[in-house]
Amino acid sequence: MQNDIRKVRNIGISAHIDAGKTTLTERILYYTKRIHTIHDVKGKDNVGATMDFMELEKERGITIASAATYCEWNNHTINIIDTPGHVDFTVEVERSLRVLDGAVLVLCSVGGVQSQSITVDQQMNRYGVPCIAFINKCDRSGANPSRVIRQLREKLGHNAVAMQIPIGLEADFEGVVDLVAMKAFYFDGNNGEDIRVEEIPKELLSQAKEKREALIDAAAMFSDELTEAALEDDVSEDLLYEAIRRAALTREITPVLMGSAYKNKGVQPLLDVATKILPCPLDVKNEALDAENEEERVLLSADPKAPLVSLAFKLEDGLYGQLTYVRVYQGTLAKGDTIVNIRTGKKVKVGRLIRMHANQMEDIDITPAGYIGALFGIDCASGDTFVAPGTNLCMTSMYVPEPVISLAISPKDNKAEVNMSKALRRFTKEDPTFKTYVSKETGDTVISGMGELHLEVYVERMRREYDAEVTTGMPRVAYRETITRKAEFDYTHKKQTGGAGQFGRVGGYMEPTKEEDFLFENKVTGGAIPTQFIPACEKSFRKCLLKGPKMEFPVTGIRIVVNDGASHSVDSSEMAFQAASRGAFLEAYFKAKPVIHEPIMKVVVETPTEFQGAIMGSLNQRRGMIVGTQEEAHMCVIEARVPLAAMFGYSTVLRSATQGKAQFTMEFASYKEVPKTVSEELMKKAAEERKNVA
Amino acid sequence: MLKKDLILRNPLRLIGYEGDDILSDGQFGAVLARAGVGKTAFLVQLALNSLLRDNNVLHVSLNDPVDKVVLWYREVLADITKQYNVGQVDQLWEAILPHRFIMTFKVEGFSVPRLEERLNDLTEQGIFIPRMILIDGFVFDESKRDSLLHLKELAKSSHIHVWFAVRTHRSEKSDPGSIPRPLAQMAEMFEVAIQLQPEGDKIHVRALKGGAATATSHPELLLDPSTMLIRNKS
Repeated sequence: MQNDIRKVRNIGISAHIDAGKTTLTERILYYTKRIHTIHDVKGKDNVGATMDFMELEKERGITIASAATYCEWNNHTINIIDTPGHVDFTVEVERSLRVLDGAVLVLCSVGGVQSQSITVDQQMNRYGVPCIAFINKCDRSGANPSRVIRQLREKLGHNAVAMQIPIGLEADFEGVVDLVAMKAFYFDGNNGEDIRVEEIPKELLSQAKEKREALIDAAAMFSDELTEAALEDDVSEDLLYEAIRRAALTREITPVLMGSAYKNKGVQPLLDVATKILPCPLDVKNEALDAENEEERVLLSADPKAPLVSLAFKLEDGLYGQLTYVRVYQGTLAKGDTIVNIRTGKKVKVGRLIRMHANQMEDIDITPAGYIGALFGIDCASGDTFVAPGTNLCMTSMYVPEPVISLAISPKDNKAEVNMSKALRRFTKEDPTFKTYVSKETGDTVISGMGELHLEVYVERMRREYDAEVTTGMPRVAYRETITRKAEFDYTHKKQTGGAGQFGRVGGYMEPTKEEDFLFENKVTGGAIPTQFIPACEKSFRKCLLKGPKMEFPVTGIRIVVNDGASHSVDSSEMAFQAASRGAFLEAYFKAKPVIHEPIMKVVVETPTEFQGAIMGSLNQRRGMIVGTQEEAHMCVIEARVPLAAMFGYSTVLRSATQGKAQFTMEFASYKEVPKTVSEELMKKAAEERKNVA
Repeated sequence: MLKKDLILRNPLRLIGYEGDDILSDGQFGAVLARAGVGKTAFLVQLALNSLLRDNNVLHVSLNDPVDKVVLWYREVLADITKQYNVGQVDQLWEAILPHRFIMTFKVEGFSVPRLEERLNDLTEQGIFIPRMILIDGFVFDESKRDSLLHLKELAKSSHIHVWFAVRTHRSEKSDPGSIPRPLAQMAEMFEVAIQLQPEGDKIHVRALKGGAATATSHPELLLDPSTMLIRNKS
């Protein structure tokens, strides 16, 4: 393993689904000698590309889950995270993006910048991930790399600069001209492993010179030294690379390379440039949150001797148990170490530390800062932070929001039932915002999470990864009830006519509170209610809160104070006081003017500016309140607060309104009272449901 | 009740503006100051004053992203409620939010036709109809005269008034009481100009044009340097 951290690259290969990133990854692994044969994604040899190791991925020729794999090139260690190209798998993509230092954006030379390339690019932009572009499939009919470069500039706003030009195109594609070295590269041998470097063909010389000028001009904007050298016509390769690298690290330049992974052309130069231009872990600032200091941001140092801070970014079920992919940000993770999971506070011993090469593993002893490794047999959830004992830093916020939407699911057959429970166990571990429980009333399994799409993704994954076919019910929003004013109660429960008697009187008041969901206070003096019955009162009130009397939604934000009561020496019992408390709750609840609260989501839509008006209209129609719009170059970001109940099906609406060019993210913001009209509608619906049940 | 309390305590009344709004339809106002003296805080106070009376405000920022503008509002409102001992900031905040719309542009991407286009997006669909526009970060120079004239017409026909934050430069000296440079050549377009002038540890609020500038006696206003809130000298 490479010990010089400056020679480490953690890169992602991200792209639109059919741009060929899996094939490219496969070729990279082949040239770096990690694998010894090449299999096609949709291969006839039933092996499939190495990174696509999930059965269903092989079958469909797509990559769902990201796997981390490592290889070596030119004395550099490269960790490759294969990221999914589907727009719907954003949780996973974004989690991988946190772990990357740089990325290769793969584009198809025929299809160019497609809407999902825009999505992927926006994600990289959000995390400030420096990237280089690789225009793949130059051998295909209709290939046009210059058009793709133009699209990179116009559609994505990149300062895209070609570092190569193609030698021939479509069926005549032979190789590339390197504009830094000013040499022609051809790829011979059965699998393109023999590189032949020659002089630039005469017919391409003038074009090459012109493009090199453009490259130097673009890079010179970021280096005075290069400007001077260019004036004296004495530009060295190192100087040019240094200037490009400096600009690429801040995303001010996007170097563009080209080739055809499938035809084994242009992959090795891509690796050369990736090692020369993409950042090493030292170039990237990583921050953690200080759990002891109100989650204040703390800068981490990539020093292997500092206390360990590492992030578990992906879990996988292997043959031998759970495999946890970990990126070390600070310190060193070593076999035999005791580390602490910040979320649970539990100490665990590192038994086996491995390095993954897709689904084959290799045992290692240490993973220093900047590296990616995997832990075996450690019980944790995805997104957990592992630190050295005594350190209290976490990589992600410890705050886990409550789910806002739920969906009843039922397995189609017995086999699906077993697989479904396996899948749910895994998903709840991977994603803390995803929860599951069995409804006491209906016996249904209910999954709940942060949005419609969030749940859809998991239902789809159950089917794909666990072969669990499930039917889903209608999504339900997690409404709540709360009271708006103080109301008093004084209720006597009395049943003293024959048999064992029951007697209990409970007096006090309820009022709204913002401090907690439920506060109970006992202010009874003089033993009006004997102390042993107070817990029964509290228990009964708590039970009442589970299903609010107004609409049967949970009641929150309520403070109940009991300050008076009466008991009977013989007839009072826990049961009597429970009944009295229930009566008291019902007596006061409607006097306290209950209202329904609904989850309001922070919705952020990123769109090309031409669709801005239409999108604002669509949000407005959904009872949305637009906070603001932010225009940057060709893109516009619209931020709004929209009730979750109005967001069902929004992804489809957005896609069709913008030709798939816009994307949105949604997260829980707050609970807010529903408008009267909506509340009436809800009540009507609830009444109908009750009628149907009866 | 709370809103009313704050409206009645609005110190802008002291500067000589008796009416609800300092400007009327189609009028321009300018807040002039050097960098870091409190133009944005002042604009936000003007906006809050309008928002508390349920008037819609469109805040256009050419410097800051939406989040930062929101932060300005949160902080200024928190300071005001603290200063006047008004509780329930959250309730106030919720009440004013629907009346505020923030638009941010890159300076180079901003133009009056573009603003007009965006404004049409909002008004034609009935999403948001502003009564007041604040423009923070606009660079004044002679080449912008025509587009400002166009904006003025637009403001008049849409029943809007517009406030600008105008950045002055320390190096450019102007006579006391006269309108400083970037605005001087276009002063005729502006009905009101207010200057924020640091002197020693105080920041004076002076009307250069309109309002108190013509009144014979008016109380002097200051900005509290710690909160940038307007307060009476006494």
